[in-house]
Amino acid sequence: MIHVVTDSTSDLPQVEAHSLGVTVVPLTVRFGEEQFTDGIEMDSDTFYERLRKTNVHPTTSQPTPEQFADAFRPLLERDDDQVVSLHISAKLSGTLQSAHIAAKEFPPDRIHLVDTETASAGIQLLVRAALDDIAAGLDAQAVARKAMERRERVTIYVLLDTLTYLQRGGRIGRAQATLGSLLNVKPLLTVVEGEVAPKARVRSRRQGLEKIVELLRDLLPLRGLAAFHCGAPELLPLLSNQLKALVPDVKILFGQVGPVVGAYAGPGGIGIAALGAD
Amino acid sequence: MSATDPAPSGLSVLRTPLREVGGAQTLAGLRSALAWLEANQQEINDLNVYPVPDGDTGSNMYLTLRSAVEEAQHAPTPDAIDSVMAAAAHGSLMGARGNSGVILSQILRGLAQGLTGQTTVDAKGVARALTEASAVAYRAVMKPTEGTILTVIREAATAATAAAAESDDLRVVLQRVVQESHAAVERTIDQLAVLREAGVVDAGGFGLAVILEGFTRTISDADDRPPATAGQARRGEPQVRLPYGEEKQSPGVALHGRRGAAAVAPTDEGWGYCTEFLLTGKSLDVDAIREDLAKLGESALVVGDERLIRVHIHTGDPAVLIAAAAQKGRMSKLKVEDMSAQHHEVLARAGAPQAAPRAEPKPLGVVSVAPGGGFRDILQSLGSDAVVLGGQTMNPSIEDLLNAVRDAHSEAVIILPNNGNVILTAQQVDELATDCDVRVVPTRNVPQGISALLAYDQSAGVEVNYERMHDAMQTVRGVEITRAVRDSNADGHDIKEGDVIAIVDDRISQVGSEYLPVIEAVLAAEERPPELITIYHGDVVSEDEANALAQKLRESHPGTEVEVHEGGQEHYPYVLSLE
Repeated sequence: MIHVVTDSTSDLPQVEAHSLGVTVVPLTVRFGEEQFTDGIEMDSDTFYERLRKTNVHPTTSQPTPEQFADAFRPLLERDDDQVVSLHISAKLSGTLQSAHIAAKEFPPDRIHLVDTETASAGIQLLVRAALDDIAAGLDAQAVARKAMERRERVTIYVLLDTLTYLQRGGRIGRAQATLGSLLNVKPLLTVVEGEVAPKARVRSRRQGLEKIVELLRDLLPLRGLAAFHCGAPELLPLLSNQLKALVPDVKILFGQVGPVVGAYAGPGGIGIAALGAD
Repeated sequence: MSATDPAPSGLSVLRTPLREVGGAQTLAGLRSALAWLEANQQEINDLNVYPVPDGDTGSNMYLTLRSAVEEAQHAPTPDAIDSVMAAAAHGSLMGARGNSGVILSQILRGLAQGLTGQTTVDAKGVARALTEASAVAYRAVMKPTEGTILTVIREAATAATAAAAESDDLRVVLQRVVQESHAAVERTIDQLAVLREAGVVDAGGFGLAVILEGFTRTISDADDRPPATAGQARRGEPQVRLPYGEEKQSPGVALHGRRGAAAVAPTDEGWGYCTEFLLTGKSLDVDAIREDLAKLGESALVVGDERLIRVHIHTGDPAVLIAAAAQKGRMSKLKVEDMSAQHHEVLARAGAPQAAPRAEPKPLGVVSVAPGGGFRDILQSLGSDAVVLGGQTMNPSIEDLLNAVRDAHSEAVIILPNNGNVILTAQQVDELATDCDVRVVPTRNVPQGISALLAYDQSAGVEVNYERMHDAMQTVRGVEITRAVRDSNADGHDIKEGDVIAIVDDRISQVGSEYLPVIEAVLAAEERPPELITIYHGDVVSEDEANALAQKLRESHPGTEVEVHEGGQEHYPYVLSLE
């Protein structure tokens, strides 16, 4: 049997993961001395509430190799068991590194690791596509290979309220160039080759949302689309109708960015992940 | 009725007919035209169409013609009219500022083209040259509008053609030209609605008539007839002064220390001293001198001919440059300005890193025009490579923009003029920037320029950026708030001196006595309420006043974000950006 593993930066809620049969390995979020496992000991609502109130910037840490080994072990009990494990861009997190170390404890070819070169809902779109491939009867190696082909067609656009959190967390990448503006500019970011990069600069949220829809139009046709907010559910309705009109035949995922990615995006962000048709 | 009206043909029979004019007389004519224009400069400025302080047409034309005369004085073949006019055309192009200045430079260029290959010109030749000047001027303007300087040059050409068919006496022809030019100026009031509403004639057209008249005065026998006025029908009629005494009006003297206030503030390397001087000699090798001097600094501008070279170089060590230049020819008009002090202050405020040493030109750069220090800093922080200070009443010259384009050190440069009166000037830069592809995104105010700059993506090509920036500039509404400088009636508003005026899309949208109600009226007229209002306050308004205004707007528009920044612009207490 082929099992799908991901990490908590996919922002796949535990309940949904369970029903899909996907194992989610959590990262860790720390506020000062306190630490919580992402999505288990701390849910997103609690996290953003705390993020807004505190001056302490949360830090995150990748799962340990033991966490991965503990996750892989029960999935590989039977001889025909295999794992396809899809993770956050190696340029953004050491998560894949831990998974890699853990995988060495197991016979070769039992675990197929995939660097999705994306994050959050982008990973989730690839996880769901991989589940479709498994259901269609592909073997584990083919599922992993397809995921790696598909990651080229994953696009993320995130409209942040501020770059402060990304900068504090050291994940600003090429978006560095958008700093230093004397005006209050809202950055529209994307992920290019696994790194955060600037896509556009806008002065208001409305301009940013219009820009996202305009940019999405260039990506049609889509296989999957997701819209996620960062502790600001009131933003999703501003986008949902236009997205539905854009891709009437695609089931759009709506959700919330979890604590780990949220620690870098900061509250008030909204973004989309799109997966181009195969 | 113009005072030149007495039938010139009736008078001219008493004089010896003048059948041709050469280079020396043309230069004298240009000098006289400059002096005449200077004498009338303020009157031309006062022909404001809008009751806002943008009346600088006279100054712009004066500065443009001054630059023309400066070059014409050093024409390689001073006796030949084509040489004198070619030099004048080149000089005017370098010094052109403002729409009227740019069109004037095109008129001079057309004249020069029409005179190519001629040492002297006769009556028919003048008619041909004026016709060419009219054609070149019309071509330079994207949407030619009647009731402007264009109409005046066209009618001047028509008058010359008709007169030259009847007489070969240049006095007759030129006096007819002057007479018909003033008549054409008179008619502009009926050709343009804005002029009719304001009760004035077109300033640029009047300026051209003044130039033609000043020129003609030296060609015609000097007489004591009072100079022409631009008519009696309008309000605010210019009072034309008599020209200065000939001995005092040497343009060479007037040229000193009158350089425009526009300053180039590049963000890239090249800081140090802006060094300018003239080199004179008998057989200067422009190319060799350019090559030698350019090595000693950045943004080298070395133009001229074998007798006169104008040098403009940014250098870290002016002493070395001056020593080197002094060996090439006789140096005059030396001016050295320290640009570093200002630059470091800007960098410190913007928190920008010090620029790395200059490398290969980058593929694409942006040059923008800012009407104040605050706007300059904002534009730089958003990625503008060079910012030229200038705006409402001090339009930058083509040369100012050209220098900024060079400072941007890029293979292609997009210029954001950020003012309706700078667009045409900016559009002339491409021709002079031979090694750089220059595009103009025609932003009419700074909010549009900021929007365009936000869409700028340095990693994309010039075409893509031009399109994106062009689209982006339309996503924002720029509102300029000022006080009327005089009573007037414009865009259907009865305006009293001191009234607060809001200008939206180049039209007066609201009038009132206080800032807040006028701004509220502008907001009420918007189709949908803006999500963000950015207030850029000018140098006449304190930050506290601007913040108080912002607070009131936040209270009355709870769904709208209001930001306050210092624009530092003159004349406009507030510039608002609605988006």
